[in-house]
Amino acid sequence: MVSVRNLSHSYGNDGRLAVDDVSFDIGKGETFGFLGPSGAGKSTTQGVLTGLLRLQKGEVTVAGYDLRTVRKERFNKIGVSFEQANVYSKLTALENLRFYADLFDAPTRDPHELLELVGLAGRENDRAGSFSKGMKHRLAFARSMLNYPELWFLDEPTTGLDPAIAAVIKGVIKAEQAKGTTTFLTTHNMYIADELCDRVAFIVDGSIKLVDTPRNLKQRYGKKLVEVEYLRDDGSIAKETLRTVDEGDRERLAGIVRSRDIVTMHSKEATLEEIFIQITGRGLD
Amino acid sequence: MAMIAKVMRILRRDSLVASRDSMLIIILAMPVLMAVGIQLFAPGIADSVVRIGLLDDDPADHAAFVAEYARVERFGSVAELERRIAKRDEIAGMVRSGDGYEIVVQGDEGPDLLNYAKLLNALYELGGSRDDSTASVLSFGKAVSPIKAKLANMLILMMVMLSGMTISLGIVEEKSDDTISAVNVSPVSQNAFIVGKSLLGGLSTLASIVIALLILGYSGVNWPMIILVGLTSMVLTFIVGFLQGLSSTDVIEAATGVKMTMLPIAGSIAGYELLSDKWQWTMYWSPFYWAYKANDLILTERADWPTVLLCAAMVSGISLAIYLVAIPRIREGLS
Repeated sequence: MVSVRNLSHSYGNDGRLAVDDVSFDIGKGETFGFLGPSGAGKSTTQGVLTGLLRLQKGEVTVAGYDLRTVRKERFNKIGVSFEQANVYSKLTALENLRFYADLFDAPTRDPHELLELVGLAGRENDRAGSFSKGMKHRLAFARSMLNYPELWFLDEPTTGLDPAIAAVIKGVIKAEQAKGTTTFLTTHNMYIADELCDRVAFIVDGSIKLVDTPRNLKQRYGKKLVEVEYLRDDGSIAKETLRTVDEGDRERLAGIVRSRDIVTMHSKEATLEEIFIQITGRGLD
Repeated sequence: MAMIAKVMRILRRDSLVASRDSMLIIILAMPVLMAVGIQLFAPGIADSVVRIGLLDDDPADHAAFVAEYARVERFGSVAELERRIAKRDEIAGMVRSGDGYEIVVQGDEGPDLLNYAKLLNALYELGGSRDDSTASVLSFGKAVSPIKAKLANMLILMMVMLSGMTISLGIVEEKSDDTISAVNVSPVSQNAFIVGKSLLGGLSTLASIVIALLILGYSGVNWPMIILVGLTSMVLTFIVGFLQGLSSTDVIEAATGVKMTMLPIAGSIAGYELLSDKWQWTMYWSPFYWAYKANDLILTERADWPTVLLCAAMVSGISLAIYLVAIPRIREGLS
C-alpha cells in the first residue's frame, strides 16, 4: 500500500536533512507505527506521504499512486487525521463533515454515524468554535474517516485526550483495522504504538534505526529484566532495572541481593519506550 | 463537472460563514448604504441652480419673475434673510431699497452668483425675458450629473477593492482554523480552491455594483460594459486579497493590508481627473486608471465598445502580468 525508497527531505538550502534516506514498505491492511521524539522526522515523512510536502528526493508510492506525479484523486482513497484539530470554527460539527464529504468523488459515510462513533452525538448542530480541544480533535478524526479510506494517516490520534476518550478513539482504530484499513500511525506515545501497531519504525534525527514488530522487539531486546527495590544505608529506597543477559548487570544484581535488604523484586518485560532508548540512546520527549 | 461542483461547494461554505460574520456582512452592505447616501446628498443635474432669498412682502410679479430663473426661498424679515445668507451654502438675497433692489450677499460667494443676481435684476428692471434671446440652442442631450457619475465611479472601484478584502478575510479564517491543510488532502485541486475562494468576493461585488447603480438611477447604463470592466478590474484585487490573506495573521492585519490598495486606486482617480491630456500616459501602468476611465465613459454615456474593450484589455494585461509574478507565492502559501 505504501512503498518508500531512499526518501530525503530538506526545508532549506543549508544541506541539513529533516528526513535522510528513509526506506520502508507498508502492506495492505497493516498498521505501521512511526515512532520518534519531536523533530525526529515523523511529521516530515507523513507530510511527504500525504502530499502536503513536495517530494524532493526518493521514490514514493502511496495507495498505488507515484508521488512524482500529482494526482489529487488519490485522496479519494486516503484519510488524514492531523495532530492539530483543524476544523472550521464557524461551521457546526455536521456542516464541517458535510462540507468535506461533498469534496470527495467517492462514496462517503453518514456524518451522523461518524459523530456518534466519536462521541459527538447530540452536538451535531453546535459550532465547532464552541468545542473543547478534545472535541475538535475528535471531529477532525471523524472527518478523516469520511471517505472509507483504504489508507489512513493518523498523527498523534490520542494526544491531549482524556483516557476515556482516548480509549474510544483506540476502539475506533481497532475496528477499522479489523475491516482491513491500512494505517500509518505517527506518534511518540509508545503505549498506543504497542497496543495498535503490527510493525513499528524507530526514527531519530531523520533516519530510521529499526523496523520490526513490537513482539519481536520485546523478545529481542526486552527479555530478562529485573526491577529491584532495596534499602540504602540511610534508610531510603533505591530502585534499579537490570538486564539479566548483561554480565555487569547480573553481578550488580547479585551484589544487591547479597548486601542489601530487598524491598521488592520483579522480573519485567521492557516497554517499547525502554527499547527505543536502548537502541537509539534517546528519549521520546 | 466535478470541479465545478466542488467550486460551488466552496462558495456555499464561504457564503454560510459570511452570513455568520458581522464584519463580512458590513463589508458587503457598506457599498449599498453609500449608494443610498450618494443618491440622497449628491446633486443631480437639476440641482445645479442659483438660490435667491426674497422677503414675504416682495411684490408678486418680481417674485414670480425671479422664480423662473432661480430657486426662491422666502423669509419673514430681513434679519431672517441675513441669518440664512450667513449659512455655508451660496444664496443671494434681494431686498427692495427705494425704487430698486439691494442684493445682499455674505461676501465669500463665487463671482458667478453675484453676477447672476445682478443680471437677473437688470433683466427684470429692463422688462426682458429669456424669450427675447435670438440665440439658437445645440444640445448634446447629456442627462447625467457629472458629480454623481464620478461618485458612482469611485464607489465601483471601492467595491472592487472590497472584493479583495472579502477574499483576504476568508483566507485568514482558513489559516486561523488551519483548515487549508485539510482541504489539501482532499481531491480538490488548488485551482478549484482558488476559484472557489474568489467567487464569493467576485459575485458579491458584482451584485453590489448592480444594486448601487440601480439605487443611483443608472438603470439604463450599458450593463455588459459595466460588468466586463468590473470583472476585469477585480482580478487584481483577487490577487492582492490572496497575497494579503496568506501573509496576515489576523483579520485586522488583512483588512489593513488590502486597504493599501486604495492608494493606487486614489492615485489613478486623481491622475485621470487632474492630469492634462499630455501627461495621462504617466498613469497607464495602473489597471485602476483604465477601469476608472472606462467606467467614466460608460456612466456618462460616452463609451463605445472599442474603447471599453481597449480599457478592459489593458486592465487584464496588467493584472495578468502581476498574476504571473504572484501565483508562485499564492500556491506556496496554500500548500
